[in-house]
Amino acid sequence: MAGRKSLIKIKPKKYKTGEVVNVSFMIMHPMETGMRKDKKSGKLIPADYITEVKFFFDDKPFTTLKVWESVSTNPVFTVSYKVPGKGKLKVTYKTNTGEVGEKIKKVKPKG
Amino acid sequence: MKRRSFLQAVGLAAAASAVVTPSIAFAAEKPKGSNEMGIDAALKALTGGKKITPSSKVHLKAPEIAENGAVVPVSVEVDSPMTPDDYIKGIHVFATKNSNPRTVDIMLTPANGKATFSTRIKLGSTQEVLIVAETSKGEFLSASQSIKVTIGGCG
Repeated sequence: MAGRKSLIKIKPKKYKTGEVVNVSFMIMHPMETGMRKDKKSGKLIPADYITEVKFFFDDKPFTTLKVWESVSTNPVFTVSYKVPGKGKLKVTYKTNTGEVGEKIKKVKPKG
Repeated sequence: MKRRSFLQAVGLAAAASAVVTPSIAFAAEKPKGSNEMGIDAALKALTGGKKITPSSKVHLKAPEIAENGAVVPVSVEVDSPMTPDDYIKGIHVFATKNSNPRTVDIMLTPANGKATFSTRIKLGSTQEVLIVAETSKGEFLSASQSIKVTIGGCG
């Protein structure tokens, strides 16, 4: 895995325990469908897309996404989450080529 | 008739060679995705033949006209108390005319607090986007919107 860029964003930036926030996971990924042709060589570009994204809070999964090819390049997935307190937010992903990765963000509610 | 029979023969030959050399078949016909399936089959696989009822509880936010089919922002919100007894178990996004209509399946838990989801999807042509939400009681609620696509986004 060649260090794919990814990012977790929590909106709004300031939040309290018990508040419902938007958690976004962004990742730089080409999301090739396997049906597109290379313009120069005319050959098909092999499929390479994310198949699964999982959201964890303190290693407890709370949302699982099953993803297919029709999601755009460099996808952003946004879900809601009720902040239970301080902890660690982790997002893992898998692709159809067997690549796996994860991203961690600390959750620090104010008050 | 000659032309037709000739085409048939060529078609048969292509089909036969597909077993041995798939690359030749690929050159002759439109490439097929490995996940290709119809919308009806996809829906049946999800619900198992249960009825899907259109509901005002499912809110779908998407543009009416998308200039670029490769990036169509879609956001969904389902009204639900999200308590352990009554919550939205899953939200399923279908692009009805894409060769693989399944786009994202979201499996939620009561810990989410709200049943929302948003992302950007690819649309091959002008079509309807269908959202099916599955409640914890086993009901299927749906909402749909047709989106006009000026430039298709699937290669």
